[in-house]
Amino acid sequence: MKPRESAEHRPAGHPAARTDRTNARLADAAGRRAATLKLWGLDHHRAPTGIREKAHLDAGAVADFLAACAEEPAIVSAVPLCTCNRTEIYVESPMGAGVRDAVARSLAAAGVDIALFEGEYGLRLAGIDAVRHLYRVTAGLESMMLGEPQVSGQVKDAYRTARALGPLGPVTLRAFQGAFRAGKRVRTETKIGEGAVSVAFAAVELARKFFADLGDNRALLVGAGETGALAARHFLAQGIGALNILNRSPERAQRLIEDLAGGETDAPIRARPWRDLGAALSEADVVLTTTGASEPVIGPQMVREAVRLRRGKPLFLLDIAVPRDVHPDAADLEGVYLFGLEDLDEIVQTNLQARRKELDKSDLIVARELGEFTGWMQDMELRPTVAEFRAYLEGLKDREMGYVRKKLPQDVADEVEKSLQIFIKSLLKRPMVQLKSASSREERTQHLDSLRRLFELGRSGEEEPGRAP
Amino acid sequence: MQTLVGLLTALLPIAYLLLLGAYVLVFLRDDPRHLLWARRLMAATVVLHVSQVGVRALALGRLPADSPLEFVSLLAVALIIIYAVIERWAKVPGTGFVVMALAFLLQFLASAFVGVRVPPRALLLDDPGYGVHILLVLLSYASLSLAFVYALLYLVQARQLSRKTFGLLFRRLPPLETLERMSVGAVQLGVPLLLASLVSGHIWMATLVRRLSPDIAASLSHGDPKIISSWILLIAYSIGLLGHRYFGWRGKRMNLMAIAGYVLMVAGIALVHHFFPSFHNFSTLGGV
Repeated sequence: MKPRESAEHRPAGHPAARTDRTNARLADAAGRRAATLKLWGLDHHRAPTGIREKAHLDAGAVADFLAACAEEPAIVSAVPLCTCNRTEIYVESPMGAGVRDAVARSLAAAGVDIALFEGEYGLRLAGIDAVRHLYRVTAGLESMMLGEPQVSGQVKDAYRTARALGPLGPVTLRAFQGAFRAGKRVRTETKIGEGAVSVAFAAVELARKFFADLGDNRALLVGAGETGALAARHFLAQGIGALNILNRSPERAQRLIEDLAGGETDAPIRARPWRDLGAALSEADVVLTTTGASEPVIGPQMVREAVRLRRGKPLFLLDIAVPRDVHPDAADLEGVYLFGLEDLDEIVQTNLQARRKELDKSDLIVARELGEFTGWMQDMELRPTVAEFRAYLEGLKDREMGYVRKKLPQDVADEVEKSLQIFIKSLLKRPMVQLKSASSREERTQHLDSLRRLFELGRSGEEEPGRAP
Repeated sequence: MQTLVGLLTALLPIAYLLLLGAYVLVFLRDDPRHLLWARRLMAATVVLHVSQVGVRALALGRLPADSPLEFVSLLAVALIIIYAVIERWAKVPGTGFVVMALAFLLQFLASAFVGVRVPPRALLLDDPGYGVHILLVLLSYASLSLAFVYALLYLVQARQLSRKTFGLLFRRLPPLETLERMSVGAVQLGVPLLLASLVSGHIWMATLVRRLSPDIAASLSHGDPKIISSWILLIAYSIGLLGHRYFGWRGKRMNLMAIAGYVLMVAGIALVHHFFPSFHNFSTLGGV
């Protein structure tokens, strides 16, 4: 049987050795020195696309970065968050530790220069400000499309990736769990995620005002352009029942069908010849037009005939071509609803305005969740000193009990010990309340320092005050 | 007893007004908590109304449904009961405020003008056949009232879409297809109920004629203008349904027909009561 590798004999780069080192740092973080979260970030608010591209970490670079972080004693744990609009590095380190150089070396290992994050476009936050930013990002409050839900999944992915490559520090764990909770509450308790905020989604939202279930309806895409393909993709993703594509070039229509069929859809997609436009119009419930024609390809007469065949069933025409594909006179026909790009844009703007109205409510939720995190952090900072103080008092008690037990009967000594235990508990109660209710972090640190100095806490191995002979 | 009847009758419009307010909030805020409270308030209003009907029935010794105002009051509660079922089925609470507005209006009229004083008892109305007939009439009218509400909302939403007004109504109202389905569904429910109420009325009348003294029996007629207008209404609604089923009538046309049918129904009832008050007024008839 192969003997178990001991920690001392593992090579430096060995994954298990990395875990040992991280565990040691975690023990340190949970021990005497309080840890904090720091952020190096670049996002769409401040940095142009070119800069964000340079700082982007793909999956391989993320792995390299995390592996390098694991070698750095100043880094307890790190979570890199990389999306289209942001690259953010959350690093937990012991307070007062010079972590900047460690992060620089880790980023360099992933091929990114830390200077990108420290220049005019960079976002540098620490402590509660970094946590607040994480909460806001996860809730979609920092997103380009305010309130968009995808970012929450991206934060979760980043967290899982970092966790899979090594244990995370207590502050990181708590901060990310709080962020997920804040994000969920913002999404469920406010309407910040409601309403389409992109043109393609606005088209689907508009269609939903006509049809109860898109699965019962058929869409017709006239033209195989890029915008139309994007809208068609959204309709398929939202479960449209069937899709017909008409294009002057059948080959291009066929290519688009192959492209669309590759997505996750069960809806039948088929091409129809251009000459079928009139018939296809009467059979479709949603018509998307995106040809590059310079003149309208769908005239009022063609629409009138389609409406007649539909016997009053509404026809939803979405003309997103420039110049227009549907003659504007078609909109005057009974049962015809014609919309253009400007209408979709109006829906997007209205929805964005409605989302902005939910910002105050969302901020309040974030503030409340942040309050919980702050309370936890205070407890974390107090815990090591209070534990040491308790141990000191317990030590004194045990020493006294040693003398007492020699001189007094067993039952009396037991009673004395019980009384001393209650005394210790009562003695600890008031300082704990005072420490927790300190008005600022500085005040709390002062109290803790005083406690440590007065009772000489942390001087392990030194002679503790003994009983007078 | 009369004091209690008076108190409950006065409380009803207040309860309906609160219910309307709750559903306006549901429409404006789209918050599940508001919907929960609105549903609780709806249940409480139904209990209150049923209690009022019960106490009044005890005082009168019959179902309080012989006068138009009593009928209107029963129609209000039938409307919200049927609406509660539809809301659960279709899961579109955003339309409740219109139904509640109609129910409040009906109950306000009923409470404002119905007499607290107990009228003389018409023994004819103790007959179980009358109870069956009035229940069927009530349910059919409530269904057709809902069809009217949904048809109206269809036209409102269609107008929002054709005018490209993407405001609160556009966001909160259900899709056109849902509104049309609910309107047609309510007519599909109302038409057989109306047919059943007419048939039950004819059967009841036929049995009464045999039991009544000849001079009273002579005042009952199968050609009562209200009965004839109800048959005409039934035929009109049936044509609409057949057109929808077999000729694909959809959209504005179908919903305009539902609105026209309802307006004709209400106008017909009002006209018959105004110009032919002796017809279909069983409370003036003596005992069996």
